[in-house]
This record gives sequence, structure tokens and C-alpha cells, in this order.
Amino acid sequence: MIASKNRSYLARIRPGWKFGALLVLSIGLYLINSWLILLSIIILSVVLLLTARVDFKQLRMPLLSLAMILSVVFILLGLQTDWTNAVVSVLRLLTMCLLAYSVSLTTSFDAMLELFQQVASPLRFIGANPAQIALGLSMTIRFIPELKKVYLEVREAQHARGLGNNPLAVSVPLVIRSLKIADETAEALDARGYDSASYQR
Amino acid sequence: MELPPILFENVTVKFEDRDVLKDVCLTLSEQRIGIIGANGAGKSTLSRLINGLVLPTHGTVHVGNLNTHKHAKQIRRDVGFVFQNPANQIIMPLVSEDIAFGLKNLQISKVERQTRVQETLAELNISHLSDRESHTLSGGEQQMVALASVLAMQPRTIVFDEPTTMLDLRNRLAFQEEVAKLAQRAIVVTHDLEILEDFDRVLVVTDGAIAFDGHPMEAIAHYRQWSHA
Repeated sequence: MIASKNRSYLARIRPGWKFGALLVLSIGLYLINSWLILLSIIILSVVLLLTARVDFKQLRMPLLSLAMILSVVFILLGLQTDWTNAVVSVLRLLTMCLLAYSVSLTTSFDAMLELFQQVASPLRFIGANPAQIALGLSMTIRFIPELKKVYLEVREAQHARGLGNNPLAVSVPLVIRSLKIADETAEALDARGYDSASYQR
Repeated sequence: MELPPILFENVTVKFEDRDVLKDVCLTLSEQRIGIIGANGAGKSTLSRLINGLVLPTHGTVHVGNLNTHKHAKQIRRDVGFVFQNPANQIIMPLVSEDIAFGLKNLQISKVERQTRVQETLAELNISHLSDRESHTLSGGEQQMVALASVLAMQPRTIVFDEPTTMLDLRNRLAFQEEVAKLAQRAIVVTHDLEILEDFDRVLVVTDGAIAFDGHPMEAIAHYRQWSHA
């Protein structure tokens, strides 16, 4: 999820602190085995999310998917171990996800990439360029919806030609168009003065 | 705004033994220049030579005193490029971040970047798009964002490669209006002949050569005649 402009108190905390706290809390949750304590932490996480003034429209779909996944986990764990353990595990996972939403929805994408670059800076010693990796990451996120759009267009065109269920008929044009997009985007990067060596966020 | 002349000296471009452009000699100094011609005639190659996206096989291209062979990086600071398909030109997931992208490449400070992004969005009346995710924009909005991302870099020349091809009439008119207001030099490659009527100069490219160079109405008439032949 990409955070749109959020101006809550959470957005003012430095991303490094937020992600650090999320890491520590996520590990800490595994030391708690009481469902009552976990339930109170969940309530706190919900309060955190509510007070962070996040856009709940953005959360609807992820929460629905999460509910489905957690239901499956709950049933499987309940059947394989015991139901108290299932409740505890699901509460832990739910708390972690709510805390992660609070962090990601109050941190701008730019700030996240900046943090990623700082965290990945030791990679310079093995010849990797963290700025390039960060740009690659952001472009992946940017182009996933574009590629989905291209896939739907190609599938529609092949359906119209009676080739809808043929994977080759969809994958070949999809790959060709993806390569064309990659070419044009590389050209756009050049035109906008991108220089991986000097690129600093 | 002082506009540096663009000089093509005996420029030939070959792609796999095929002459895409043949011995082109030109000086572009006007503020509004159009480039028209059939598909595959060499219009896009001609426009890409201006900021070094394509380098001449023979000959040289100069923007002011800078040679595209030697100073492509500096030239790209001064010559912006708006592509036909804006979706592939928008690189970052959020509009404001995409506009800031080119400014980061220019090593501009964060505060200055934010100011320029907001100013540019306001200039094009698209401030409301600032926090939108790029993939949710309509075609017209994407083209405006692509223009904003180039304008924010404050180039003195902007090259447009068939900018209205993917736009409906309303968006095309809005885009045309914004281009007309630009203080920068605009070099527009297009099949949309109406756009060019108020331009200072129009080049007709045919089979890799400049077949006509002059007043827009005469150039359009020449191109129409050539198309019917």
C-alpha cells in the first residue's frame, strides 16, 4: 500500500523509528502467550490506526484479504493444535498487520525508499548500488498495475480472436509489450537525466 | 527567456544499415516548431537527436555550444522530452514523487524540490493530482503529469513526440492550450496538423530527409499534397 499525504502525529515520526519499533514489537509479540494481553494490544493497535487518520478506503480490500487468510490459519491451527493456540496465533498476526498498516500508511513512499537506501547502504561494499535497487523497487511497484492493464488488454484481444484460453497466445504478446514498455521507460529515464552513479535521494 | 539555437550539421542516422536520416542540415531558432511526416519517415529520430537520446552516425547536433555526443547530460537539463505514451514516462508510483524525480537527478535540495513540484502542479492547474497514484490517472491526466515532470526541471526547450495521439478531443485541446502558453521553445512531432497552425515553422520529413521547411500553412499543404500523391 502506498501512503497518500498523511499529516497525523505518526507521519511526523521518523520512518527509521517507526520501522524499528514495528520490528521490536513484532518480535515481542511472540513472547506473549496470554490471549487477554494480546487482545488489549489489538485494541491499542486499532486505536493507533484510528488516530493516525489513515484512508480507510485503502484498507478495505487488504483487511478483507487478511480476514480470509486469518480464518484459514485459525481453522487449520485449531484442528491441528488446540483452539487457544489458534486464537493466540491469529491475534498476534492481526496485531502485527494492524501495526504494519499504521506504519506504512503514515510513511510516504519516498521516505520508505530513503530508509531502504540507508539500510541497504552496506551493500556498496559488495559492489551493489542501493540507489539503483531502491529505484528498481519503486519502479516495480509503479509498473505492476500497468502490466496488469496490458495483460487484461491482451487477454481481451485474444478472447475476441477466440484464443482466450491459450496461455501462449496471451504470454507472447504480453512479454513483447512488456519489453517495449521497458525500452520506453529506459528512454524516459535517460531523458530525465537519470544517472545511477550520482543519484541520491 | 534566451533560447539557444539547435544546429544539425550533415546529420545521418543509420539503424542496422538503413539510413533513417540522411545528411540533414538545419538550424532551429524559433519558439514553436512542428515536425510532420509519414510513419517511419524519421520524425521521432530527428526529435530524439535534439537531447541526445539518439546520436548521429555521421555529423553533429549542437544545442547552443553543447554537442550531443559530448555533453548529453548537460543538454538533457536544458531540453525536456515528452513521450507519446505518458504511462511509460511516469516512473514513480505517486504523482508528486514522479515530478520530483527529475529534480533529484539535478541534485536539487528537498525543500526546493517540494516548492517546484507544487508550483508546477499549480501552473498546470493539476494540484489536485499531487497525491494520486500514477496508475489511477486518466490518459489526459497522465499527459499533464508528464508535462509537469518536464516543466519542473525548467528546461528552455521541450520536445513533444506525438503528445496528443492518445488523447480525446477535450484533453487534446487542454494540452494544446498548455503548450501554447509555454515560455519555453516547443518542438512538436505530430500527426495532428491543427496544432501547428499558429506555429512559427514546420518541417516536413519524408524518407529521412527534410522535404519542406517553412510556414505552417505551406508545410501542411505540401504534406497533404505529398500524402495524396
